Amino acid sequence: MMTLTRPLPSWINLEALLPYIGTLLLILGASTAFPQVLSLDYLTQQLQIAAFLGVLATGATIVILLGHIDLSVPWTLNGAAIVATAMAGSGNAALIALAIPAAILFGAAVGAVNGLGVTILRIPSMVWTLAINSILLGLAVLNTGGFNPRGESSALMSWLATGSIAGLPVSFLFWMAVSLALALVMTRSGFGRYLRSIGYNEKAVYLSGVSTRSVVVGAFVIAGVCSALGGVLLAGYANQAYQSMGDPFLLPTIAAVVIGGTSILGGCGGLFGTIGGVLFITILNSVLSVAQISDAWRSIIFGAIILAMLLFQTLRRGGRT
Amino acid sequence: MTDLPTPIVSIEAVTKTFGATVALKDVDFQCFPGEVHAILGENGAGKSTLMKTISGVIRPTSGVLRAGGTPVTFKGPGDALRAGFVCMYQELSLVPDLSVQENLLLGAPGSRLGRLDRSPLATARDLLDRIDGQDIRLGAKVSDLTLAECQQVEIVKALIRKPKLLILDEATSALNASVVEKVFDLIRAQRDEGVAVLFISHRFHEIEALADRISVFRNGQRVETFPNGAHDYAAIIDMMVGQRIDELFPAKRSLPQDAKTVLDVADFAWQPEVKPTSFTVKAGQIVGLGGLDGQGQSRLLQGLFGLLRGTEGTLRINGAPIPTTGPKAAKQANIGLAYIPEDRKADGLIQDQSIMENLDLAAMGRADLAAGDVALYAGSLDRLELKHGGLDLPVSSLSGGNQQKVVLAKWLALAPKVLLLADPTRGIDVKTKTQIYTLLRELADAGTAILLLSTDYEELIHLCDETHIFYDGAVTRSLSGDDLSAQNIIAASLNIPSDGGVAHA
Repeated sequence: MMTLTRPLPSWINLEALLPYIGTLLLILGASTAFPQVLSLDYLTQQLQIAAFLGVLATGATIVILLGHIDLSVPWTLNGAAIVATAMAGSGNAALIALAIPAAILFGAAVGAVNGLGVTILRIPSMVWTLAINSILLGLAVLNTGGFNPRGESSALMSWLATGSIAGLPVSFLFWMAVSLALALVMTRSGFGRYLRSIGYNEKAVYLSGVSTRSVVVGAFVIAGVCSALGGVLLAGYANQAYQSMGDPFLLPTIAAVVIGGTSILGGCGGLFGTIGGVLFITILNSVLSVAQISDAWRSIIFGAIILAMLLFQTLRRGGRT
Repeated sequence: MTDLPTPIVSIEAVTKTFGATVALKDVDFQCFPGEVHAILGENGAGKSTLMKTISGVIRPTSGVLRAGGTPVTFKGPGDALRAGFVCMYQELSLVPDLSVQENLLLGAPGSRLGRLDRSPLATARDLLDRIDGQDIRLGAKVSDLTLAECQQVEIVKALIRKPKLLILDEATSALNASVVEKVFDLIRAQRDEGVAVLFISHRFHEIEALADRISVFRNGQRVETFPNGAHDYAAIIDMMVGQRIDELFPAKRSLPQDAKTVLDVADFAWQPEVKPTSFTVKAGQIVGLGGLDGQGQSRLLQGLFGLLRGTEGTLRINGAPIPTTGPKAAKQANIGLAYIPEDRKADGLIQDQSIMENLDLAAMGRADLAAGDVALYAGSLDRLELKHGGLDLPVSSLSGGNQQKVVLAKWLALAPKVLLLADPTRGIDVKTKTQIYTLLRELADAGTAILLLSTDYEELIHLCDETHIFYDGAVTRSLSGDDLSAQNIIAASLNIPSDGGVAHA
């Protein structure tokens, strides 16, 4: 349906471009009533905010491409934030320096537990990761006694979340760096090829002599690390960790991935579309709050627009095959 | 058929095009009550399009379809069902998560909203028993059944709808000879009651056994219709391919005295499905595995490739003991095993990915091979004459036969020492079959040990140098030379003494 004279790379397709188009339409539409949405300040602020969701969605994309899902995002994020702020707030220079690596390690460990549960115990990821999320919640409460955890973010964490380089938010650049690194892994490495193939047909990949288990575990570890990085950014932004800080992010994370054109069943899709999906959801959320609509209507409109986008993606996919 | 009664179904000047592809070209065709009419043709000859037109799945671009003499326009398969046209599709249409009886009752006559009419179940039980399906419980979940059992259920599902026209598209492809014979008895009984049967099969001996008339299709056109027996195999194959294929099977060679043993299987077992089994495959040998479905032969192949846990016994390749830890280890150069799975569509290929992405999937895990290099596959693809419009196209755009060529090329790129094949030619057209047979023989001549599981006993007889017949998890008889005959294979499959003869129903 597109008539283009030179071929585009395969990762640019209508599914992936759709959220970008939606984002542009949202901004242009909102600007007629609220001209301030076209200001540079507003847009850079959106990029900064989008990065938090973006880093989470990057990890979620990897797992969803595999045909699995990671519902432990909220408390992996929260746990990593608690670990990082506790260490950063300790006053010990060595511990402060290790705050971010420790958070990453925490995320990787949760991811590994997720991956092993899904591959070795063969429990559906939807159930397993939900249970892990609940266990992490319990551990966090035990650890903090139910109060907000003490601690603060390190200077590096705050800079990552709120700093800027050449007018661009550091958090946005960080998100782009994470996306680019994973995009390279996805396109250039055997791991990326196997990941997609497993999303389409795990048995055929296994029968081709591929250790599908290590690919699945690897993908969950990547997702866990991304969740932890999201926690580091959010803690840096708020200068603290707090209970349930990750809970509002679960649905938008998955919605961003699917709106970005990645099939919830695995296989097709990619990180380029996810970036668009994250921008769309962030702008939608922001425009609705700029419009000063009541919370109830905001939730309803937000949900309806997300459903409409998903429906569109599903219908397109259905019509093609 | 003496004074030509009204045909149950007839089509006149039917053409069907898909874009630029002409699937059926100006076809006239009739099927009468009380006849079994076999349709023969290569894949892509138009057989499936013809069946889909008659069963209402697709509508012809032009031409007339008549049911019992009246012109009809089917808007969907439901209309065809109401006209009494029941189709059993090649792709099984059972719902895996439902039980056998729920599947049987799905869409059965009288089942609209509300209570299902259970009366067909007694008939179904009786029919299942008559085609060796005693072990299939009506309450069993379809996903727990073997492929062969699914086909038995499919056949019964079609029959309990009391068809006027029964369309069987590769209906017996996964069934072994003795069950097929019982299914044929059922079909003959239907025919004698005046039902018209359209029968598609790639197994010549089945068509010879069952058909009253045969129509041959080629390139979307009907070449000829003639009574069964009017032409011999060679002449029919000529009609199908439009050129002479002198021999379906390549000539066997006598094995040199000093041929070395490549694959040595000693007391290999996976209790209780596979009892301790020992045999060898020498360089240059094609060894067949036969028997009724589910007698342990497919498990044996899976076990050799390391897909089963808890196998016993030893496996040696060129004298060196081989661990059976899984496909990743099995495909490495030091072991050199390759396994072509039974279900090529679901297990052999990733349908959503391109031909190239499917080709390189096995070679990718081998450090010594450049998996991305097309040259690695070009040799096999040329030998098999793969027809494709570009390696970037999805593998699902290929016909079944061409898909199997991709699976073979994918594994041959690894230059395996031992090739394990699970029924590689099931449901594949004759020309592709001969290409695969020739390739297998060439590979054997080049020193590859080939272990071929087949449900087609012509392959076991004409392609294999030696055939082991399984019954209840163990080899009951190993046949070679002049002993390798259809009678002996069937007798051994049923575990009855070969001199007792085969009882015909």
